Amino acid sequence: MYRILLLSVCPVRNRALHVYIREACLRSSKCDIVSLPICRATNGGVFNAFGTSSVIHCEKKEGPLPPKEENSALKDGEQKVAVKMVGEKVIELQDYVKMVAEQSEQRVGVKMEGVTESVKIEEIPVKMDSEKMEEIQTKTALLPIPEVKLEDVKESEEMKEIMLASKTEEVKQKLEVTMAVVKEGETIVEIQVKTEEVVDVKKEGDKVVEEQMLEVNKEEQQTEAPPKDEIQPVKSGKESLLDLLGAMKVEVTNKRKFKALKVQRTSETAARPMPAAMESTTSMFQEATGMADVPAPAPSETLSPELVAAVSAAAATLPSQSQAESELLKKLRQHEAIGEAQKNGDVNNIGQVVIIADMKVGKKPNGRQNARPANQIRFDEDGRGYTHDRGITAELDGGLRRRRSLFSGKRLNIFTPSTEPEADTDIAVPTLWDMELANQVALSTNQMPRNGFEEMIQWTKEGRLWQYPINNEAGLEAEAQVPFHEHVFLEKHLEEGFPRQGPVRHFMELVVSGLAKNPYYTIQQKREHIAWFRDYFQQKEEVLKEAEVYLN
Amino acid sequence: IPKKKTWYVVFNLFEITQDRCLMPETMELCIEEVSEAALLERIMLRKVKAAVDMYDQLLQAGTTVSPDASNDLLDLICLYGDRDPVQDDKPEAEDVVGYYLCGLYLENNNAERIFNLLPERDTRAYSALIRGMVKYGAHVKAFNTYTDMLNNRLTADVHTFNALISAAPEVRERYTEKWDLIVDLLNQMNEQKVKPNLLTFNALLKALRRCGSLARAQSLHTLSEMKAMGIAPSLASFDHVLGIFYKAASPSQGQTDILQEVMTEVAGRTFVAQDPDDVNFFSSAMRICLDTKDIEAAYKVHDLLRVGENWRMLGDSFQQSIYYGRMFNLLCMMEHIDVVLKWYKELIPSLYYPNPQGMRDLLQALDTDNRLDMIPQIWKDIRRMGHDNKSDLVDELLSLMARDKHSPEIQESFAVCALDVKSLYEQGQGARMALEWTATAMTNITSVLLAAQKKQQAWDMLKLFKTKNRVPSEELMEEFLASIKSSNDPQHAMELVQISASFCLPSTPKLAERVLQAFELSEEQKYDYCLGLLELGTTDVNSTPSEGSHPLHLLRPLTP
Repeated sequence: MYRILLLSVCPVRNRALHVYIREACLRSSKCDIVSLPICRATNGGVFNAFGTSSVIHCEKKEGPLPPKEENSALKDGEQKVAVKMVGEKVIELQDYVKMVAEQSEQRVGVKMEGVTESVKIEEIPVKMDSEKMEEIQTKTALLPIPEVKLEDVKESEEMKEIMLASKTEEVKQKLEVTMAVVKEGETIVEIQVKTEEVVDVKKEGDKVVEEQMLEVNKEEQQTEAPPKDEIQPVKSGKESLLDLLGAMKVEVTNKRKFKALKVQRTSETAARPMPAAMESTTSMFQEATGMADVPAPAPSETLSPELVAAVSAAAATLPSQSQAESELLKKLRQHEAIGEAQKNGDVNNIGQVVIIADMKVGKKPNGRQNARPANQIRFDEDGRGYTHDRGITAELDGGLRRRRSLFSGKRLNIFTPSTEPEADTDIAVPTLWDMELANQVALSTNQMPRNGFEEMIQWTKEGRLWQYPINNEAGLEAEAQVPFHEHVFLEKHLEEGFPRQGPVRHFMELVVSGLAKNPYYTIQQKREHIAWFRDYFQQKEEVLKEAEVYLN
Repeated sequence: IPKKKTWYVVFNLFEITQDRCLMPETMELCIEEVSEAALLERIMLRKVKAAVDMYDQLLQAGTTVSPDASNDLLDLICLYGDRDPVQDDKPEAEDVVGYYLCGLYLENNNAERIFNLLPERDTRAYSALIRGMVKYGAHVKAFNTYTDMLNNRLTADVHTFNALISAAPEVRERYTEKWDLIVDLLNQMNEQKVKPNLLTFNALLKALRRCGSLARAQSLHTLSEMKAMGIAPSLASFDHVLGIFYKAASPSQGQTDILQEVMTEVAGRTFVAQDPDDVNFFSSAMRICLDTKDIEAAYKVHDLLRVGENWRMLGDSFQQSIYYGRMFNLLCMMEHIDVVLKWYKELIPSLYYPNPQGMRDLLQALDTDNRLDMIPQIWKDIRRMGHDNKSDLVDELLSLMARDKHSPEIQESFAVCALDVKSLYEQGQGARMALEWTATAMTNITSVLLAAQKKQQAWDMLKLFKTKNRVPSEELMEEFLASIKSSNDPQHAMELVQISASFCLPSTPKLAERVLQAFELSEEQKYDYCLGLLELGTTDVNSTPSEGSHPLHLLRPLTP
């Protein structure tokens, strides 16, 4: 799913970037990174359809994707439409991009401050006094992700209305604030940085919009409350949480599909960014990873999803985003694991936490499937007896592939199917090789009839069985006109050419009596048989006379 | 195929095997003179050596052989690896050496010699040579020949590429290198405007089975490519895909539902054999079902088998028995016994002739679902199928019968069955390998008989232990004692103790004491009893180390 999304987004995004870069070619390379959110914002309506996680994935890729992936991306009908729509939207958005570009130029300075501040995160003292932010923090702390997604969808609808009123600066504001809402964890410093920025921008922007926005946030919090209560007791055991994680992922994808549909429907009226939904999907996976740590019984320093999200937000401001993010997360996880172990005196916990954090929960297609083959030793054809385990990515691959049907994936793209029919299909004489292959195929298959009926059918087809109605004389058509006495009384053929008595006569009488009982010879054959003996004895007449056995 | 089969009415098979000169030459040469017609005749009759000789004679005589004829000759030599094909009706013994040699590529063989003699080497000649090399295992040589062919500015045909693709995994070591070579070949095919066919893709998938981890993704891409090219995959293609995804030792086995996807793809379709590997599909699909214990998938596979003429794709009787054996094993493991018995009636013995292991699976299934009352019926089938001389199967059957207590009717039928088993042991069975009495088998039969109140037969069995030099278990003695107690027969009880003492069972003293307590014996009887024990003890006690069995200990309470 991710991959398909990614593929479909990529070309579109490239085009969007082209537009963007053409319009804003004056900007420096640093500005590119800073202004990425803006770009996202411009394409927001479109990008939401695909989920921004794929966008981020896209950014991580350094080179352009090979062109064949574009082709295969077109295969999926739904996405084809989406891509088309995106294309149209891109053109529509060009003007909008221009505007954003101009304004973002002004904001570069502000943003760069943010970057420097976030680098010195640890040094900045905590002087957060925004009550609202704290409120948000506490409310979102234990929020299960699926609910966030749902709310995001709702929220994004509301956001749209706000957007209509707001200018491009507000777009930026909202982007930052909603990011903070979703991502803020215990690193309040980070939030502070954000809020400062927001405040800066706010001064330029429209106050009314900001209030609306906060209202939206409050609404969100209120609606979130009931599901939170439901989910909380379940969280106690690690097992159940892992299950939750597994289930969650599936839900998220469903939701995204739903969301995509929704956005497609509404995108005509709202070619506006919906940053909240966007960001939440961005951080979805990271939160999912972080969620694994929530059940760890450490009241003080858990690696909460918000923390992880905050890290990713912080990393987003750095040039090498993915690397920084992973480094930060790693460090945090280490801290947490060690701290917890020291607190609980349980060394095993380290391993556990780390394992769970790295764990990927896949849905099993069948409960029984994981049963291992018993009492069997077998060897692989590739001679190693085991396959190389590629770790998480391999399983991820498997997990992704599961949702595809057998043929819907991309193809090798080596051959081009020809449209014209086969002109010459070698009607030449089959070679020995062809005969050998045919023979092999025929030998390999089961050519035996399965039961007596089939055997009889086959015999009947070959003309080897009784014809119906049953007739005793079936197959004797040639002799039908010959009366039976011609067959039986053959002595008359001995009248001439044979001696009247003696051993030869005696022998021939035996021959005749044998022939008379033979139902298989025709009368003609019987006559020839006798004639042969006649010739034989006449040829040997001399010999027989000498032996005095030829008595005439 | 010009192979003439002369049918003779064979009255006496023995005569034929004794006197092989009765058998006709299946293929007789008619043209003796040196001519191209003679060469063609030899090729037609697949006389490799004779054809090569004829070709040499023709060349020596200065005759030019037509390109078609020489290509046919080359085909013949390459196909049979420069050896005369083994005739079906020749006995194997004569060709033992040939049997081991065939499948090996001969160095400096006639194929290469004649190939070099050819005035012009066209695609067909190269193709024959390469296919022959691949067939007989000279993979590197095949690739060298292919390079040579390209250097001569010839293009290969599809058969050449098929052969080369199937040889590709042999000439490279690492998985990625293998795959790169295959992709390279495919690209060359495309450049040379050679259309791939089903066998190309099947060879490709078969080669992918040996390409390790990257095969999974690439096999799916290959299927998509086939679809794009309008080539419907055959069963062999699916078999290879399954082989790729369900590697025997792979830890990720069971994490993929490719089998389900393949089954939805092929469901309800009829297949005709297009590839010799097609026949492997059903048995390997059933193996996966068995490994993953997926009974639903197994039913799907079996449903596919019933569509149209698909049963022909099950292959020869060997593969059929493998397929049904796996299926039956899975059924016994996963299904309720009623369903198993339904299948049992349907499959056995017309479609599947189970092996002893299959019957043991069935017995275990009976045990699991508490239908041990079926055992006498199953035993009849076991006898009918000739598995009644497999001692482990018989042992298992007996132990299942002896293990639990059942209703009197069932016990009665068990006893009949046990007596039947006993008679099997006793009759020598003539030519067939007879069963050897084991102690457990005897014990089990005896306890079954005891449970069915067949005291006399049980008593006979107990005596049989002695004659067969087997030792009954202590539990059996307890059972006997209980049975004797119920009928209150002190004479038998004393006899039992004597028998127990004669086997030097360590529990004999306890048994003797219990007999004394349980039965009202007169003083005379007691005296005889102990004396008898003493006699036995003095003869046997020296040979056994166990002191407890000495009957003198028994006399102690008797003589106060």
